[in-house]
Amino acid sequence: MNCGDCLEQLTPYLDRELTDAELVQVRRHLQDCPPCDDRYQLQVHLKRLVKVCCDRGGAPEHLRSKLKHILF
Amino acid sequence: MVLVAEHAADTNARNRFAEEAIGYLDTLYRGALRLTRDPAQAEDLVQDTYVRALRYQGSYQVGTNMKAWLFAIMRNLFWDRFKGGRPEDISLDGDGDFALYDTLKDPSAMPEAEVLDQIAADEVVKAVEKLPELHREVVLLVDVEGFSYKDAAEVLGVPIGTVMSRLHRARRQLQRSLYDYAEESGIVHAPGDGS
Repeated sequence: MNCGDCLEQLTPYLDRELTDAELVQVRRHLQDCPPCDDRYQLQVHLKRLVKVCCDRGGAPEHLRSKLKHILF
Repeated sequence: MVLVAEHAADTNARNRFAEEAIGYLDTLYRGALRLTRDPAQAEDLVQDTYVRALRYQGSYQVGTNMKAWLFAIMRNLFWDRFKGGRPEDISLDGDGDFALYDTLKDPSAMPEAEVLDQIAADEVVKAVEKLPELHREVVLLVDVEGFSYKDAAEVLGVPIGTVMSRLHRARRQLQRSLYDYAEESGIVHAPGDGS
């Protein structure tokens, strides 16, 4: 696997969407290639940051009450 | 008596459905807020989603992914109501080869991941909200809600390959806008500005 192949696979690799065989190939390339691994680490970080920052806060209480009234 | 029993069974089924559906309220509201970027519109969108879900609960198959089903309803309502119709695909000009990584070749510069660490949560949310809707929704589904490509593809009504390419572009855009922010706020210096 070269760097171009690796970069193409990086998105599904990050999202755990590769087959086991593909995953092993990408992992092996990342172990041997610091620039690709840097890119990967940045992607991991970005994904985590988006999750943590966007996954906060809940629905307002009045909306919950209104919906309970509608649903039940 | 039979009628009463049937009525009770219907009520039970409806209550079970409602219980499960209301369990996704916070996550739907957060998604609605990111899509509409407006609390009042987010409330309307969520309420309409539940009303529609209730009306079409017969089409929900018990035991399947209710969260994905609710997100699909909400997403379609969003496009119909707020954007005047289902989306056309978009192209992204100037996507280029830019990545945060590429701009930080100065060995004395901070590692990219540390740059991200210094960016406030609000700025990350803003960067997500600045994405075009088609890119924003895929980030919400996959990165925030943890949907598989397959589930996201079903919610969005597109092939898995489209989910992947939108996600790839969306993440590059995110990197770019977070890097711009890092530069503007002095967390990093623009390459070659000498300061």
